Amino acid sequence: MEDTRSEQAILDFYTYPPIGSDDWRYTFETAQVRALEMQMLSPAALLDMANAENFEAAVDLLASTEYALPSAGRNFAELEDTLRLRRSAVRELFAELMIDKPIVELFKTRDDFANLRLAVRRTLTEKPLGTDYSSDGNFPPEQFEQVFEEENYALFPDYMAEAVEQAVLAYYQNKDIRRIDYAIDRLQAEYNLKKARRLKSVFLLGLFRIQIDLTNIRTMLRLKFTPSLTGAGFTESEQRNVLLKGGFIALERLKDGLDIGYEAVGPLFFVTPYHRVVETGANYLMSDKSFLRAEQQCTEHLTGFLKSTIQITAGPQPIIAFLLMKENEIRTVRLILTAKKNNLATQLILDRLGG
Amino acid sequence: MDGLTLALVGVGLAALLAGIGSAIGIGIAGRSATGVLSEKPERYGQVFIMVLLPGTQGLYGFLAAFMAMRKLNFFAGTGVPELSFTLGLQVLVACLPIAFAGLVSAIYQGKVCAGGILMAAKRPEMAFKAGVIYAVMVELYAMLGLVITLFILQFGISWPTA
Repeated sequence: MEDTRSEQAILDFYTYPPIGSDDWRYTFETAQVRALEMQMLSPAALLDMANAENFEAAVDLLASTEYALPSAGRNFAELEDTLRLRRSAVRELFAELMIDKPIVELFKTRDDFANLRLAVRRTLTEKPLGTDYSSDGNFPPEQFEQVFEEENYALFPDYMAEAVEQAVLAYYQNKDIRRIDYAIDRLQAEYNLKKARRLKSVFLLGLFRIQIDLTNIRTMLRLKFTPSLTGAGFTESEQRNVLLKGGFIALERLKDGLDIGYEAVGPLFFVTPYHRVVETGANYLMSDKSFLRAEQQCTEHLTGFLKSTIQITAGPQPIIAFLLMKENEIRTVRLILTAKKNNLATQLILDRLGG
Repeated sequence: MDGLTLALVGVGLAALLAGIGSAIGIGIAGRSATGVLSEKPERYGQVFIMVLLPGTQGLYGFLAAFMAMRKLNFFAGTGVPELSFTLGLQVLVACLPIAFAGLVSAIYQGKVCAGGILMAAKRPEMAFKAGVIYAVMVELYAMLGLVITLFILQFGISWPTA
């Protein structure tokens, strides 16, 4: 754990913010994670899957991996089950390896916020609450029904109760469902930063600030591409307020990006570490009217930051990085196989993967 | 404090500090090795030498302490001679290089070895080239400490003749 009093300004680093120093309590755990990293799918294996002739051929390429499906009766439900099991297993391993349990709780809040987003949406739009919630969070999903039926939000942990309040208030401003997501996203970002500061973790603070920046860049490009938010009851200033605070990039720069042409957005971010992300994403958006490249570049930037933990011989950083990279791998496998199942063009998949 | 006590403090420090350093160093490298071996037991041979390396400082400390005791006539069976305060102080100072070089270098060597063990997990072909060689570079300074201790004990002190 590090001193985070002097938070980095954007010009203090070139591509990725500092990741902190070694914590020798994690020697065993880091070594185990390094060995497990060897079992991850290589970029070449993912490209082979993307280039496979069809869904079956792509699944065959996973035969010798932990994602292997039985040769008979390969269907999508089975694939989903396998991927869900892998995700649960990696999260369990993370909880087991992490000595600082507050970090485990912090990462579990991701599922709490995701569950909440779903539950609030359903409640406010008067749909059945359902039971399809993730059980990987801190709050048991089976209690959601009780909390929302009784409207007793005090049963939630503080951060969830506050998120419900903010989301409901945001929704009733003009009954736009997207406001729920924005309100919860904002609260989640604030919560993550607050916890990272409390844990005095330079790495977590850098990670969450990068995630905020990448979310803001995606939002900026979406706002540029679909200015329909104004039509959905968002005033121009409100539209700009959906950008999250706390990242490395000044919000003014992102707001400036909304007012200029696509070709000028890249140079606007030249002095930031996200120049390539924005330029590549904006160019592809302009030419192909798709966010594939922007998404791919965001993933690549975050992965680059996570890979910089290779410098750490012992510490929580490589374990957190492993969790996030493994989750990303599971998402990528799902993405490729879904695309193959739906006979999407290989080039589109390659564009998303960065191949 | 008489000379013999000072000399014994030096002898004790050489064995103790270098031994502590080695124990910590092996502890670090050992934890790293068990982490790798829990997933890749086939790397045992490659990581073994890197766990072993930080242990050498403890041996150097033991060797220096043994040499000092021999010079002090501990093993001759004729009794330990009376030592002047100055001579005792000289023995104490002679033992300090290996004591401190051993302590610090063993801990850092343990950390270097832990890094090398992680490399052995991912790039086994680099385990010797990088992991062991870098660890040996740290070892060099413990060896220099030992050499200086032995030189002082051998040539820097006017031992009383029997």
